[in-house]
Amino acid sequence: MKRKKKKFDPGELVLNLFMLVIALTMLIPILNLLAKSLSDPSLVPRMKGYQVWPSGLDLIHYEVIFSNQIIWTALKNSLFITIVGVVVNILVTTSLAYALTRPNLVGKKVIMVFLIVMMIFEPGIIQEYFVMKDVHLLDSLWSMVLYRSVSVYNVILLMRFFSETPEALLEAARIDGAGHIKILFSIFLPLNKIPIITVGMFYAVYRWNEFFHSSIFLSSRGNTVLQVFLRQFVVEGDTTALSALGTLDLSAINVSALRAATIIVTMVPILLLYPFILKYYTSGVLAGGVKE
Amino acid sequence: MWKRIKKDKVLYLLMLPAMLYFLIFHVWPILEMRLAFYDYRIVGDNIFVGWKHFKTLFSTPAFYNIIKNTLVISFMKIVLFFPLPVAFALALNEMRTRHFRKVVQVVSYLPHFLSWVVIAGIWYEFLSPSNGLVMDIVAAFGGERVNLLTDKNSILWVLFASSTWRSMGWDSIIYLSAILGIDTALYEAARMDGAGRWKTIRYIILPALAGPMVTVLILNVGFVMSAGYDQILNFTNDAVLSRVDILDTYVYRIGLLQGQYSFATAANLFKGVIGTAMILLTHFTSKKLTGKGAW
Repeated sequence: MKRKKKKFDPGELVLNLFMLVIALTMLIPILNLLAKSLSDPSLVPRMKGYQVWPSGLDLIHYEVIFSNQIIWTALKNSLFITIVGVVVNILVTTSLAYALTRPNLVGKKVIMVFLIVMMIFEPGIIQEYFVMKDVHLLDSLWSMVLYRSVSVYNVILLMRFFSETPEALLEAARIDGAGHIKILFSIFLPLNKIPIITVGMFYAVYRWNEFFHSSIFLSSRGNTVLQVFLRQFVVEGDTTALSALGTLDLSAINVSALRAATIIVTMVPILLLYPFILKYYTSGVLAGGVKE
Repeated sequence: MWKRIKKDKVLYLLMLPAMLYFLIFHVWPILEMRLAFYDYRIVGDNIFVGWKHFKTLFSTPAFYNIIKNTLVISFMKIVLFFPLPVAFALALNEMRTRHFRKVVQVVSYLPHFLSWVVIAGIWYEFLSPSNGLVMDIVAAFGGERVNLLTDKNSILWVLFASSTWRSMGWDSIIYLSAILGIDTALYEAARMDGAGRWKTIRYIILPALAGPMVTVLILNVGFVMSAGYDQILNFTNDAVLSRVDILDTYVYRIGLLQGQYSFATAANLFKGVIGTAMILLTHFTSKKLTGKGAW
């Protein structure tokens, strides 16, 4: 819908100002943290909440963070769980969605009802902990790789796309003697690249941001993940992990700036992926209807 | 039938990993929740005690406070929050400066993708009494610098504000797409009839949003027992615990931290049963009213 350009519209001005304030409310707190993390430790306490540029550019807080072994361990563990986890997610989710969208599958109705039950009734955290213990995965990164191997919501979303794949394309391959596995990998997945990447994004964001189950299943320091480390440091105010450094003088840095730098480091993967996330997420969420 | 199953055996093989996952990590722990009816024993078999833990639960005064907190926080996040993404979508749609609109969209969707740990970190600084933006503004208007995070009377509004900060932009997408789906001929017709901006919103856009609004509202009510533990775990502290302790955080604290496994499982089962009933109820209500359900 196009409207003719008016010379001056006070309503438009008010609206744009209002939206500017909303956007700034979302942006300034993040930029303020970034600025503090990049500032001279002695100047940080005097920095105002609206300041989005660093006072006396100084990378010391990042140096402290990246000279810390725990951070590297946590970063490595987070990346491992996210990457391996998403591969598992995609394999498990696509093969289930593929099988469920094949015509005349015996037992499809029963399986769908089972999946819906899985979606609406979640097990309790205490029992999840006990089961992880019983299968000897407690304090192993594999507990978090296998946890949420598949989400029913994503299966249903993929099924919507998979059921639209023209049967004729598959028929030709079938006549040539290709089996389900071959058809799935050589025809089906390439045809449905976009929805699969979308679902992969859903899983990746979930896995990177997960902190609750990680904090319960992964108890030892060597198995901690970035979100859990950040939580101990920022929310619980535990600085023991950082002060165990020894090499750096903690009095020479500013703890709140150090927190800011840790938060920024934890955000970076999301920020790097943000353009792709936006592109795929939007289409996925709209295809899936209301719930994310 | 057996012939067809045999023919499709590869398909069942493909489903096997997912089914194994659900059986081991989902069904098994659900079955283990029968612990609510037993006394936990570290060595030896658990002892069946029937409804004992539920009776204790319902006679614990703190439990009613926790239910109240859960419902109050859910009410804020579902009902109070509900009109905000709608208004935001309407406002975005009215913006004529395309580039600026795009910028507002990209910025406002971002918080949705940040973990609650990160958001809590951002908000601790944002609300910091000494040099946070909010208190800087309060002080500029002559107000007193206070720590809202440890104030019993403000913490609920902190939860509401931070969850709005995170979700308002992203949740507007569903409405924005409904607006974009409106037939442009309708706008033309409205303009011919002399309808201005407000009348167009009132008579053309809002009716188009009624469907998704009803669906979102009803389906969110289904999650009334949840209230968002991942947010609360990161915004809680001793000073405000009595106002923000919800069912999920209670189960976690009493169960995993204090080791009262049976009692906490009873509370968890209570939440699970009511929660499931609510989800089913709202799903079928929504399906009936708008044709769209939760799945």
